[in-house]
Amino acid sequence: MHTKKWLQTTLAVVMASALLIVGCSNGNSGEKDSASGGKNSEVSKEPVTFDYFAFGTNRDTMASDTTIGKILQEQTGVDWKMEFVVGDASTKSGVMIAGGDYPDVISPVGELAKFLDAGALIPLNDLIEKYGPNIKRVYGDYMNKITNEDGNIYILPFTANVNGYLSPPDPTSTFWMQRRVLKEFGYPQVKTLDQYFDLIEKYQAKYPSVDGKNTIGFVTFASTAGEFFTITNQPMHLAGYPNEGGVMVDMETHEAKLYQGTEDEKRWLAKLNEMNGKGLFDPESFTANKDQYLAKLTSGRVLGFASYSWQIPDATTNLRTAGNDDLRYVALPIVYEENIKDAYVDPPSFVNNRGLGISVSAKDPERIIKYWDNLLTDENQKLVQWGEEGVTYSKNADSRMVMTEKQLTDRNDNDFKHKYGFAYFDYEWPRYGDNSVYEDGNAHVPFNQPEVAAINYTEGDKALLKAYKLDTFSDLYAEPVERPWYPAWSIEKEPGSPEQLFSQRAGDLQQKFYPRMVLASPGEFEADWNEYMAEYNKLDAKGYEGFMTGKVKNRIDGKW
Amino acid sequence: MAQSKSFRNSSLSDRIFDVCNIIFMILLVIVTLYPFLNMFALSFNDANDSVRGDIYIWPREWTLRNFDYVFSESNIFYATFISAARTIVGTVVSVFCTAMLAYTVSRPEYKLKKFVSVTFIFTMYFSGGLIPGYLLIKELDMLNTFWVYIIPGIIGVFNMIVIRSFIEGLPEGLMESAKIDGAGDFITFARIVLPLTVPALATVSLFVAVYQWNSWFDVFLYNSSSPSLTTLQYELMKMLSTSNTSSASSAADAFANAKGNAAAVTPTSVRATMTIVASVPIIIVYPFLQKYFVKGMVVGGVKG
Amino acid sequence: MELGKGTVQVEKTAGQMAKSNAGASRFKTFFIELSKQKMLMLMSLPFLIWVFVFKYLPLWGWTIAFQKFKPARDFFDQKWVGWDNFKFLFQEQQFYRVLRNTLVMSSINLVFGFVTSIVLALLLNELRNIFFKRTVQTISYLPYFISWVVASNIVQTALAPEGIINVLLLKMQFIDHPVLWLGVGKYFWGILGATEVWKNVGWNTIIYLAAITSIDPSQYEAAEIDGASRLQRMFYITLPGIKPVIVLILIMNLGHILESGFEAQYLLGNGMNVDFSENLDIFVLKYGMQMNNFGLATAAGMFKTLVSFIFLITANNIAKRMGESRLY
Repeated sequence: MHTKKWLQTTLAVVMASALLIVGCSNGNSGEKDSASGGKNSEVSKEPVTFDYFAFGTNRDTMASDTTIGKILQEQTGVDWKMEFVVGDASTKSGVMIAGGDYPDVISPVGELAKFLDAGALIPLNDLIEKYGPNIKRVYGDYMNKITNEDGNIYILPFTANVNGYLSPPDPTSTFWMQRRVLKEFGYPQVKTLDQYFDLIEKYQAKYPSVDGKNTIGFVTFASTAGEFFTITNQPMHLAGYPNEGGVMVDMETHEAKLYQGTEDEKRWLAKLNEMNGKGLFDPESFTANKDQYLAKLTSGRVLGFASYSWQIPDATTNLRTAGNDDLRYVALPIVYEENIKDAYVDPPSFVNNRGLGISVSAKDPERIIKYWDNLLTDENQKLVQWGEEGVTYSKNADSRMVMTEKQLTDRNDNDFKHKYGFAYFDYEWPRYGDNSVYEDGNAHVPFNQPEVAAINYTEGDKALLKAYKLDTFSDLYAEPVERPWYPAWSIEKEPGSPEQLFSQRAGDLQQKFYPRMVLASPGEFEADWNEYMAEYNKLDAKGYEGFMTGKVKNRIDGKW
Repeated sequence: MAQSKSFRNSSLSDRIFDVCNIIFMILLVIVTLYPFLNMFALSFNDANDSVRGDIYIWPREWTLRNFDYVFSESNIFYATFISAARTIVGTVVSVFCTAMLAYTVSRPEYKLKKFVSVTFIFTMYFSGGLIPGYLLIKELDMLNTFWVYIIPGIIGVFNMIVIRSFIEGLPEGLMESAKIDGAGDFITFARIVLPLTVPALATVSLFVAVYQWNSWFDVFLYNSSSPSLTTLQYELMKMLSTSNTSSASSAADAFANAKGNAAAVTPTSVRATMTIVASVPIIIVYPFLQKYFVKGMVVGGVKG
Repeated sequence: MELGKGTVQVEKTAGQMAKSNAGASRFKTFFIELSKQKMLMLMSLPFLIWVFVFKYLPLWGWTIAFQKFKPARDFFDQKWVGWDNFKFLFQEQQFYRVLRNTLVMSSINLVFGFVTSIVLALLLNELRNIFFKRTVQTISYLPYFISWVVASNIVQTALAPEGIINVLLLKMQFIDHPVLWLGVGKYFWGILGATEVWKNVGWNTIIYLAAITSIDPSQYEAAEIDGASRLQRMFYITLPGIKPVIVLILIMNLGHILESGFEAQYLLGNGMNVDFSENLDIFVLKYGMQMNNFGLATAAGMFKTLVSFIFLITANNIAKRMGESRLY
């Protein structure tokens, strides 16, 4: 009796669910039919929906659900089903390629080499030639950089700067100092690593604890393998080079030299070791996770730390909202020697291995290229960055583009950005680079527009700028120097190649030996360093440098 | 009644044992309840404030913004519905099939008993790999279907072993007498074995249900381009990965965060909120199933 | 007469055949008996087909171990590299270190996790108040539902220099200055073992609690009349009652000896404890998946399967010889 009832219930549930699911999937296939309905479209405005897949991160959406997407749809008739990767990118790309079914357009990010290898993207040369006057205008200067070795163009990158190059008004370095330290000593000039640490040492001697809690001299984030570069990249910056990954490229000879295993690296580690000996280095740098690290930074106890600004926005935001400017930090252009010119501000760069391509499964490449071309007009580029005049931006008396407080708040608000479409259209599409300027002189990216940036300064920021007699924080830094190969980190290494293997092994060594060397008692540092070098010398650094130098020289010769 | 009586009668050492046991259980409860209290506190605490750390079991600055963020995804309720559907259908189908298979390999006279057992047991220890698995699903035309949630998981080998050992523990006479009454194997299984293995079935149902509810990788792999088949866990994974990198890359974003009003959520807060939203529905399944874990039920059933 | 003669002859022939070709005959009887078990076959055959399609068919993927695999290429266009992937694996210096770590950590998990979940099941079974018992049961399985990211975050916070563990130990004067627990390699295995128990013990207990329900209550009544204490009852009734399940799970888990988990080590690991925390799966992730070397990952998977089978078959045979319940 009891059993029967149980079985009946089970069956009923199964049946009901099955019916339901059938209903759902039917609905879905109906949707697909209508999407492919616009296949043979002579009239270019006939509605059509393409699939867009990006290996960046975002929420899935229909383009027409956003204001910008809707406006663009009105212009072209094209809508996009936008999907973004979740979870492991290489798993997704692996099955996508193995399955051989692709969405219409793909932004492969780190998976580009695999898609090219699979022949998943179609050459765009002819399409651009026929249908892409604006594409040619924007990417014209970069043609050799976007053309693959086989003579074909497969992706349109995101960094093609148009009409010159506008540096961001408030760049940051990787060395941060708490503002009360600078204040305490009357805002001294801090240029070298020794000066930086001396100041921290002096301050901590004077104030070993604040509010009953010990001050922490210096901390960095070196626990997780994924962001271990936070500690390993510093010798490069201290020696006066921009972030090129594992190498420093000589300005004259264009030799790419690894800095791992050099005096530059040793000097950095020796300094940290010395600071550790004095109790000024926080050993938790090597064990704390990101949350713990950020909590430490926001506690106000840390006097100095090393990080890229984009690693720590949650902490800087928190300190800013807390409102105590003494406890906030300022990034300083620290280098090894007075005579070294810092290179913290990125030189004009072109990242050619990130871009959007059309797949071999694309239903109508012509329509797509036309859509992209239309996207690259000055008007539409303004639309994707600034939005509509009177709604998301205004014009001042000089007819410069500006934003009111309200508009700025909206432009920064995550929900608004998604609803309006900035979050979907201001990146991962063919676009003007971040440092572009419009014909009318306005900055392409709102936050590069000095009038907009100025609203950003707090009273404390203004005081600090005044103390150092600066207009903007960019005045602290040296002008970037043209490096035609920059950035070397975007040089693609073949999956499973000796170069890739070298990077992995060399990185493993750093992860293992850095904590040992930094936390060693000062007498043992030298021995640990020698052990590290012995291990490192077993690897083929020369081969790696040769590979990188070759690629850098190719780039200088215009072969990207 | 009987229990309290036996307590009064119990010896001193038994009482000491009881007291120690209760103290131990209370300590256990403290240690194992903590992570959830912590998630609760973080999910109701202002994300920007949580960055400061030191949130343990109570929020410092109450807010509902984290939940707002999680529920802002309009299809979250639909995704919950699909999650529930796959959990119910998947559990019912899998438990029934697994139990049926377990019954066959529990029959000592079955000639294929060992062959079937070994064939299934070995599969616990190998896998053809991700890509062959994907291609199989593609060839079977199961991409973007609901069945990809159900069919590949029809038999749980571990669960089969659990049910089998439970059936083997039943008095053999029962099945013999059923046979004498002329019942075939299926009738014996459905009428006699199933009702008597309820504690095992309840356990296995819990395992399958939790597995089904928590799965998101198969959605990611097979159904990611079908919004009509998305699940709660998958939607939450998407939200988490968005919040992870909302602060990265371009200069514009860095500025947005420096501006101070943008960082409405952080990965830590979203994760905490997700944990609360996604696990509470499945956690309450266990207390519900506990009533089938009654001691002596099986033997009592046999006697009756 | 004639008929009888004939019969004798037939019998004789059959006997000879049986002698000369015993196998074929046994085969025959096997099928005759099997044909009587149509219902049982009907009840298992669909699943045999299922297991063949979903589990055995994808094993063609093992050929990837002998290739420099690229997903885009057809099977016949792949570049075959012989045993290169295996050679890389076994000649790699780090391999033996990560293998050691894997074995130690999974052994710790096995022993530690096993003992604690059985003990907890026994103790829960001794609780008299049903409501309290169910509450403890439910709460103890909660940590199973938090992700490893969250769990490791809590562990890292607790083990920080100013975390609860250091504070307590300082107060109790076991240590005189805070210890950087995750910064000392040799503590890692212990920390991991404890974390695994904390996270999974409640969940792992469920199966034993279910097994306990099948013990005949009259045994307890009899023991009570004989004046057995609680502990005695636990040892002489409950434990033997769930022994078959314990043995089965032990055998199955021994087969998973090279699966020591992955996320916990990845999240709690750092440069200071890497010599103890890095296991086979992390190694394969770094040198296989992250470099798109599917061949290496497959080779490592095959190696794991081989080891699994050795452990599984050995454990099952030992159980068989000792007369315990066995897996097959």
